[in-house]
Amino acid sequence: MELRWGVRNLRRHPFRTALSIAGIAVASAMLLDMVMLRGGLEASFADLLLVRGYQIRVTPKGTLPLDSEATLPDATGLVATIRRDPGVASVAPLVATSIYGRRVAGPDSVVTLFGYGIDPRDQGLYQLLRGADLAPDDSAGVLLSDASAAALGAGIGDTVTLLGVLDPQMAAPAMERRLVVRGVVQWLYDYRDQPSVGTIVPLMQRLARTEQEDRVSVLLVKARSDAEVEPVVDRLRAQLGGAEVNGVADLVRHFQDRMVYFRQLATILGSVSLLVTVLLIGTLLTITVNERLGEIATLRAIGVSRASVVKEVLVEGTALTVVGCALGVALGLVTARYLDEILTSFPGLPATFSFFVPRTPNVVTAILVTLLTGALAGLYPAWLAARAPIAPTLRAEAT
Amino acid sequence: MTVLTGRGLTKTYQLEEQTVHALRGVDVDVAPGDYVAIVGPSGCGKSTLLQLLGGIDTPSAGSVELLDTRLDTLDDRALTRLRLTKLGFVFQRFHLLPVLSAAENVELPMAEAGVVPAERRRRAQELLEYVGLGARSRHRATQLSGGEMQRVAIARALANKPAVILADEPTGELDAATGREILNLFRRLNGEGTTLVVVTHDDRLAAEAGRVIRMLDGRIEG
Amino acid sequence: MRRIPHLILLILLPFLAPARAAAQGVLEVALERRMATELGLRVGDTLRLGVAPDSLNRVARVAAIYEPAADPATVLRRELRLRMHLPDLAALLGQPDRVDRFGVALEPGASADSVARTLNQAAFGYRAYPSSQIASESSQTFRVVSRFHRAIAVITIVASAIFLLCIMLLKVEERRMDAAVMRFVGIRRRTIFLALLLEAAVVAVLGSALGVGIAWASGAATNLYYQRFFDTQLVFSLVTPDIVRFSVVLSLVLGLAAGALAAWRLVRTKPMVLWGRG
Repeated sequence: MELRWGVRNLRRHPFRTALSIAGIAVASAMLLDMVMLRGGLEASFADLLLVRGYQIRVTPKGTLPLDSEATLPDATGLVATIRRDPGVASVAPLVATSIYGRRVAGPDSVVTLFGYGIDPRDQGLYQLLRGADLAPDDSAGVLLSDASAAALGAGIGDTVTLLGVLDPQMAAPAMERRLVVRGVVQWLYDYRDQPSVGTIVPLMQRLARTEQEDRVSVLLVKARSDAEVEPVVDRLRAQLGGAEVNGVADLVRHFQDRMVYFRQLATILGSVSLLVTVLLIGTLLTITVNERLGEIATLRAIGVSRASVVKEVLVEGTALTVVGCALGVALGLVTARYLDEILTSFPGLPATFSFFVPRTPNVVTAILVTLLTGALAGLYPAWLAARAPIAPTLRAEAT
Repeated sequence: MTVLTGRGLTKTYQLEEQTVHALRGVDVDVAPGDYVAIVGPSGCGKSTLLQLLGGIDTPSAGSVELLDTRLDTLDDRALTRLRLTKLGFVFQRFHLLPVLSAAENVELPMAEAGVVPAERRRRAQELLEYVGLGARSRHRATQLSGGEMQRVAIARALANKPAVILADEPTGELDAATGREILNLFRRLNGEGTTLVVVTHDDRLAAEAGRVIRMLDGRIEG
Repeated sequence: MRRIPHLILLILLPFLAPARAAAQGVLEVALERRMATELGLRVGDTLRLGVAPDSLNRVARVAAIYEPAADPATVLRRELRLRMHLPDLAALLGQPDRVDRFGVALEPGASADSVARTLNQAAFGYRAYPSSQIASESSQTFRVVSRFHRAIAVITIVASAIFLLCIMLLKVEERRMDAAVMRFVGIRRRTIFLALLLEAAVVAVLGSALGVGIAWASGAATNLYYQRFFDTQLVFSLVTPDIVRFSVVLSLVLGLAAGALAAWRLVRTKPMVLWGRG
């Protein structure tokens, strides 16, 4: 039957219908946000790890990348060993340390910086924004972020002074170097406004006074293809007993452990949203069916089948859900941005990271789940409508 | 030859602690083209009898046969289908769907019967013109007067060309003048061969009938 | 500046030896309870320590097992820690005279802010911070989580308010016939309104009471679950008198407002319309 009297019934009480749609919209917005949160965390993190294509990280035993001050010794040897693996395309060493710098102009003051030692030929850490990259053996050049450039008061072409370990007894740095700013970069793992600088690995090791042991913080490894990642990880684990070898999947698992609270919160709140949707639609339809029992009994009397009655009630519920869901998606995307702004202000979180990631599969999942829930919520009232006894109902209506 | 037969129809139901004997072994025969009026005081079982004859209630005892088919042999789906295609109902309170227009209310049984949209729209318009509401076909039920709504209900009852029209107090909610319109319509329908069974308090309607069945306390008098 | 957590120890290899420790060259360590449980160690057991997996050359005896103070900042990281005497750790790291930080206790009446300022004027290679500033910085994470929770709470309250209004409306409209009859027999609008409002109030009060019970139960369940999950004594969910007061007042206000709106809509409708004949 195409007359859709069930859907048109929604126009009978426009205020009630509008309120129900609003309720479903808020519930489905919440569900969408929680689906985005749950799926977004891992997706955002995995994207971040793979942004330069390095699928494997080698770190000191028992640590995760840049999670502690621990370092790996004999970096050159390690890099050579790893490069010999047939599945490896490239290896990027990385030194991460605290260093200091002097402002270029103005009152002499020491600013605290975060130093990266990188190999410009193989690096998975930054993207050049302005100026030029470092040459592989450029021991006179430095790369800045916008934040470190502002902190040092320096621009491309300026000479900055970087200080190594500060000795409070001598009131002097253990080492000082004057370097020319070659370029400004975006450091991919930096938190917002982190003042980071980058030099070639040997120079940063000297500044950090770890050159004798040739220490690095992390080795980023790029496998020749995604299919070779797991075999390379297994081989490196067997060869490098003193190091921790993690593929992106492993790192995502560790990350999931750390973010377990948000994942569980997302699941709980998502479930609550579905429950609200079920209750709202179920209650609304039950009450409207009860109000229209006389009408429904008449329809049954004149020959409308139970199946038609059930279908119309379900369609009524589904129509409410469709409209509510459409509004909910729009609302959910807006609230997700607001919630993301809150959560991405976590200290120490990479600025490029996002908690709420609106990926198409997530949005489609949220929509389908809401629609299915809304449709199922109409089952009980539809059953009520179909089972209404005709004669007693008509008798009751007549009194 | 009969089109609708009831034999030994009994209906008993429980109202809290009280047992109500609505019908006590009633026999009814309706032939094609009959205009039967069922009259009696309130609570005599007239509406119950009509509901049993129409298959919208089941008797505690006895049987109903419509066009040689015993209703008690049919499951709900088949019984519903029979009501859709062979019977037409008119109720005291019209029971039109307020969200549909007059034409759509008339189309409703045809849509359920699977008639194609173009054909059912044409027939709905034809029926509305027959009952004098051709110009009001697009109006929603809530925009019609009581008499107009009842005429739409009659048009709806005729939609699938039923063998019998069953009407329960069709003028019960109408004033005298409007009731006369319905009276005239029923007369015209019966004159054209439509079989009518009407439950009524309205003496004028009863006077129009070819046969009057008087009921009292669940039994037919005389 | 990103704070790199200080290196504790990277490598541990349990080495179960007789309880009697060697007299000299044996370090003493205290293990936190979770670590002892995970490694199957008891007081008196020995283990080897080192800064690299291939240089576990110092033997240490478990002198104590302790329960650390529950720290929400570290609970998610699930790290295992042990404690050593400072000179032992410094020697092990090959940095005999280095520390991460000093804690400075002041004389009564001394201002932490002004002492920190004085120290910083002459500082080179270190900075002094009042403890309150450290606490403030390190609580930044929780402030973010708090803001997030508040945002979720606001969304939930909005959804609840809409839901409540909808349900109240439906329940009150179910009574339209009763209301019509009452108006027919002469009951005033005000009387009907107040009756419906009273009903809404009762529902709101009962609902609030039930809600407090559910909140308490779910809070207890949350704590039970997460305390076991993270093996900690931290309290994750707390239902305080202030929270109860706020929630009850809010739900009463919302319930009464929803009931009042629904009742007002009903009483302002003409009786014949309510009856279905208007």
